[in-house]
Amino acid sequence: MMKKLIGKAGPVVLTLIVVVAAVLVGRYLWDYYTNAPWTRDGHIRADVVQIAPDVSGLITEVKVSDNQLVKRGQVLFVIDRARYALALKQAEAVLAQQSAGLLQAKREAARNRGLSDLVARENIEQSEARVQQDEASVAAAATAVEVARLNLQRTVVSSPVDGYLNDRTPRVGDYVSTGKPVLSMVDAHSFHVDGYFEETKMNRVRVNQPVEIQIMGESHKLRGHVQSIAAGIEDRDRSNGATLLPNVNPTFNWVRLAQRIPVRITLDEVPADFRMIAGRTATVAVVAGKGEQQ
Amino acid sequence: MIGEIEIYGVYFPSLLILMVLAFGVTAGLRILLGQLGFYKLVWHRSLMNFALYVIVLGGFVVLTRGW
Repeated sequence: MMKKLIGKAGPVVLTLIVVVAAVLVGRYLWDYYTNAPWTRDGHIRADVVQIAPDVSGLITEVKVSDNQLVKRGQVLFVIDRARYALALKQAEAVLAQQSAGLLQAKREAARNRGLSDLVARENIEQSEARVQQDEASVAAAATAVEVARLNLQRTVVSSPVDGYLNDRTPRVGDYVSTGKPVLSMVDAHSFHVDGYFEETKMNRVRVNQPVEIQIMGESHKLRGHVQSIAAGIEDRDRSNGATLLPNVNPTFNWVRLAQRIPVRITLDEVPADFRMIAGRTATVAVVAGKGEQQ
Repeated sequence: MIGEIEIYGVYFPSLLILMVLAFGVTAGLRILLGQLGFYKLVWHRSLMNFALYVIVLGGFVVLTRGW
């Protein structure tokens, strides 16, 4: 009787042991793939500088080409200088005119002071006031000369950063307007990776944790560390209605999607032959480690 | 974990490949164990097979951790 029971229990026990082992392995797999802080939703990003001229005019010279690497201060393009050179000449002429007027006023004032017994006190005061007025006019004209000179300098547009031009380089003969961007540059020193982590994984992401980055199509991994975590994202379920009352989207209680939180990653190790292109797809995995609480 | 396999422009997670591999290995294992008479000692054959599959898959995943 007893022996028969053991004989029957043996296969059950063996099977259950293997099943329990499988459950433990399954739990490990679930944790490894689903809970671990990693995401395929990452991108290389860079700061983009929009170059806009400070003065309007026709472009007379373009010194760079598409996708070129330029140094900070390198000339990008030149706007027609003739108009601004003429404006400078005009300002200088006005300055000369005002200076002549000031000299004459000074002479008159000196003469009137010398003849103070003969000239009415009112006339002396008037001539001295004219000297002061003309001095102010000369100062204004001198400033106008400086402004004209600055405008002439600003016809040469140079790069504010070390970076790569993008493919919208202006052409000779284009008319550019003050403050309207005509080309964009990618700042070469600003490359970083943004990993968009599901919010369910955020409790396992810490600042300064080491990170492995796999760029799509690249054989070598990049290394970096978590630099910072975004402090806020847009609340997609709420908007303001016409009555200024909150308009809250009714969501499902059962099926919900985790939102994504941007985590900024500084690159530490990049293979020498790797070509940084802002926007490339990256898979980002936080290497288990302590890091720091933010 | 983060590995991907590209098949003519379409990217698959490496887990998919590991699953197929593990299935093949388990199929072989099943035949071997059957010939050894192992299944006489087993309570529910399909349950045992599934548990073996999960364990083999876990083994593959651990072996390829660095990918």
